[in-house]
Amino acid sequence: MEVVTPNWGRTLKMKIWTVGSEKTFIRVLEPKKESGMGTLRVGSEMWNYFPRIDKVMKIPPSMMMSSWMGSDFNNDDLVKEFTFLHDYSFRLVQPEGSVPGITYLEARPKEAVPVVWSRIVAAVREQDLIPVWEKYYDDKNALIRTIIFSDVRKMGGRMLPAQLELVPAKQPGHKTILRYKVIDFDQVVDQKIMTLRNLQTWQ
Amino acid sequence: MLKIAFRNVFRQKRRSLLTALAMLGGFVLASFSIAWGDGTYSDVIRSFTHNRMGDIQIHAKGYLDHPSLYKTIRDYQRIGAVAAAQPHVEHWTPRVYAGGLASVGPRTTATRIIGIDLDREIATTGFSGKVISGTVFSSEGIKQAILGKDLAGLLSAGVGGQVAVVSQAADGSVANDLYTIVGLTSTGDVNSDRTDFYLPLKEAQDFLALGNQVHEIAVTVDSTAHAGETASRIAATLADPNLSIEPWQEFAQDFYHAMKADLQGMWIMLFIIILIVAVGVLNTVLMSVLERQREYGVLRALGTRPWEIFRMVIYEADFLALGSVALGSVIALVLNYAFSIHGVTLGEPYSYGGVNFDRFRTELNLRSFLIPAATVMVSALTVAVFPALRAAWTDPARAMRIH
Amino acid sequence: MLLLILAWRNLFRNKRRTFIAGAAIGLGLASLIFTDGLILGMEQTMVRNLTASFLGQGQIHAAGFRQTTAVEKTIHGLKEVVGRLERDPRVSHFAVRALSQGMLSSAADYRPVEVIGVEPDRERLVSQLDDMIVKGRFFTDRNPRDVVVGADLAKDLAVSIGDRVVLTVAQSQTGTLAQDLFFVSGVYRFNSRDLDSGMALILLPKAQDLLALGQNAHEIVLDFRNPDLAGDSKNAFWREYSQGGDEALGWPELMPQVELAFRYSELSLYVLGFILFGVVAFGIINTLFMSIYERIFEFGVLRAIGTRALRVAGMIVLEAAALAVVSIAIGMVFGFLATALFSRVGIDYRGIEMMGVTIRNLIYPVFRVRQFWFYPAWVIVFTVVTSVYPAAYAARIRPAEAMRKTL
Repeated sequence: MEVVTPNWGRTLKMKIWTVGSEKTFIRVLEPKKESGMGTLRVGSEMWNYFPRIDKVMKIPPSMMMSSWMGSDFNNDDLVKEFTFLHDYSFRLVQPEGSVPGITYLEARPKEAVPVVWSRIVAAVREQDLIPVWEKYYDDKNALIRTIIFSDVRKMGGRMLPAQLELVPAKQPGHKTILRYKVIDFDQVVDQKIMTLRNLQTWQ
Repeated sequence: MLKIAFRNVFRQKRRSLLTALAMLGGFVLASFSIAWGDGTYSDVIRSFTHNRMGDIQIHAKGYLDHPSLYKTIRDYQRIGAVAAAQPHVEHWTPRVYAGGLASVGPRTTATRIIGIDLDREIATTGFSGKVISGTVFSSEGIKQAILGKDLAGLLSAGVGGQVAVVSQAADGSVANDLYTIVGLTSTGDVNSDRTDFYLPLKEAQDFLALGNQVHEIAVTVDSTAHAGETASRIAATLADPNLSIEPWQEFAQDFYHAMKADLQGMWIMLFIIILIVAVGVLNTVLMSVLERQREYGVLRALGTRPWEIFRMVIYEADFLALGSVALGSVIALVLNYAFSIHGVTLGEPYSYGGVNFDRFRTELNLRSFLIPAATVMVSALTVAVFPALRAAWTDPARAMRIH
Repeated sequence: MLLLILAWRNLFRNKRRTFIAGAAIGLGLASLIFTDGLILGMEQTMVRNLTASFLGQGQIHAAGFRQTTAVEKTIHGLKEVVGRLERDPRVSHFAVRALSQGMLSSAADYRPVEVIGVEPDRERLVSQLDDMIVKGRFFTDRNPRDVVVGADLAKDLAVSIGDRVVLTVAQSQTGTLAQDLFFVSGVYRFNSRDLDSGMALILLPKAQDLLALGQNAHEIVLDFRNPDLAGDSKNAFWREYSQGGDEALGWPELMPQVELAFRYSELSLYVLGFILFGVVAFGIINTLFMSIYERIFEFGVLRAIGTRALRVAGMIVLEAAALAVVSIAIGMVFGFLATALFSRVGIDYRGIEMMGVTIRNLIYPVFRVRQFWFYPAWVIVFTVVTSVYPAAYAARIRPAEAMRKTL
């Protein structure tokens, strides 16, 4: 993950395990200062681990919206169980500047789903349904953030964009780029990984 | 005429004395009230500014409106030296601020990290007086922190315990470390006590990857009245468009407005006091002039011209007023001075806005003499005019028949 | 008796002097009455501003809640307490609230807030929030997804009526994070940074649900039929409701700095009184001496015919007392008029912010009984005391000397 801000830029290397949309485990490998830091998310609870002081901290609500590791993603993004499939309703649209060969979908959250986005527009390649970009809008139809997908290649047996770039619309000079190096799907993830004990285990 | 008037004053010793006494008393009381009002006003402000905020604060431009870890002052030692070199400046101290999470065991809560230069902080705001438990930072090798007492309470931690703190450093990395709690503070402000997390300045700068930067420099001056001009002078000397130098009237606007309202209330009261003094003087002067109607009648009968009578009356009032003001000034000077040194000590200290008051003092200043002087002189003269006119132009025969 | 009549008549022999002296003292008394009324009016207005805006005249919490604000510390026996309050004749209104820290986020930004679950019908009667609504409404639709925020918060989050926001809180007991979707239904403006930027109000049942509180709540806000009860910490009410693990407190305990500010202004009143009496003293002495000089021949005669010194002195003292009575009459009339006038018209302190609340109303001086017996009584006492000096002088007049003085 590369984070760019007007004040600094950093790149982190990490390993991530997920089980469905219920559990997520992240271990930071590089740089040295953060090496060994971890985040565990089970359901709607989340913990961070700091190896330097050997401390596990449960994330209180006040920290939920703060950025994860300084990036433009926040803790809430990691915790969100909402998938496009279950919690949004879709329709096809034709926005301005639409390009041939791309299908555009507008997703609106279903009633009572606690997300701040009023709607999300996704651009998908018609031929292979690979996402190109996603745009997030608020109630007043202002663009709040854009995610750009690129570097499509075969990973873990599937064709996927290996790079995600998140650009906040209202914060010039900020962006976060995720580059997937290796992905394995449909693995059986050892349940012991999704535990606090594992979070604290680091040499 | 002047000489006659002068001698008249001394002839009617008792009457003059009483009139003078009334003026004198009024003068001293009014003078004391003004000195008292000004003194307590200054005291309250001073206590407020010297408690934590300082009389003047220096920040990077825009910091106060939108605080940010990145809006920093880069060479604070030089700026501090510039401030210290200005007249009226007493002390200055640098500070670093950051938001973070503090955690002890399973308890985690939001906290405000404050990096302080201990020696300067003690000199500027009496920091050691706020540490109610434990000690201040020592030069021992361990990593030390001082917490607000309510923050420690929320975390169920105490002196000697360990607390973990996490924040985002200025280079984007995750700052995290463990500290030993060496002291607890109580400032009287619940919000502060619930979030304050003090670290030695260097430690805070390292923790937050700030190098030699700070967010704030607080400066104290000898008297709150000098805050504004000193701030301007510092700004002019530094001549840096990226810095913002503000006196307390600007960075503590709410407090300033409240004080102004208080001050207005005080002026209303002073006005009433002055009114009473004026009326008191009016009373005595009027009566002494009226009482002597017969005397003036006689003088007129003897051929004294009306204008001369008029002048005589006015001069007498003048002399009395002047004498009273002169003597009153001496007495008031002694009184105000004594109270400006010792003041009135209350049995139980008041705690107002996080500050303890147990002493109220007067302030020795020019206007506590000028205003009462003006009041006494003006009222004495105004009230003497009408009866003087009357005395001067009443038919002598009638005047002599009064009483 | 004779003395009294003599004293009274002596006083009016020189009507002008009596009147002037009486006016001077009376004016002093009038200003004391007026200032007392003004300070009282100011206190009452400020307390009213403070308590009526949101704080209430009194509050009940579980003991220890105020120190830690832990979500678990709910009021013990809420149902019983509510029942008692409903039947309690001393209480005019009350409202139940749930309180918690939380995070409110919009698409644009997020802010920490104090989440307050309210009962709109009761809340309306106890706080002024519903009057301060500038956009939208105060829960008139009873939609559980309604949230009402302050104007500063709405600005920070860049939201207006109908916009969606997500509230995140930590549930009671478990600390599990709970999130829910809300739509901004009302925006209020108090002109206080704290109130306008830090609170998010939702319906009480929704809050209880979100926080997993069941039927519990954290705070009961109260108003009394007699507002003075709130300021009286010795009143039985506080003890009665501070039982079973709960604690009931009036606004002086909840906001001690306000109480202190009032003590300080009352101190100023005493200083004013002191000044006043100083001036009065000089006035009295002066007047009496004038009057004695004038009548020095008379006094000589009186003493010559055998009147005892004490009786002469007594007469002076009674004259002083009579003067005091006249002064008091004048003073009370003017004091009454001035206070009455301004209690209609009001004094403009509007726009000034004190203790975090902007004064929105005019300050009206207030009458109270003590202004019309306590202060006048002191005037009489003081007048009489200061008259001792001239009275002693009059008593020591030597008849022979006195009768020789003619002018």
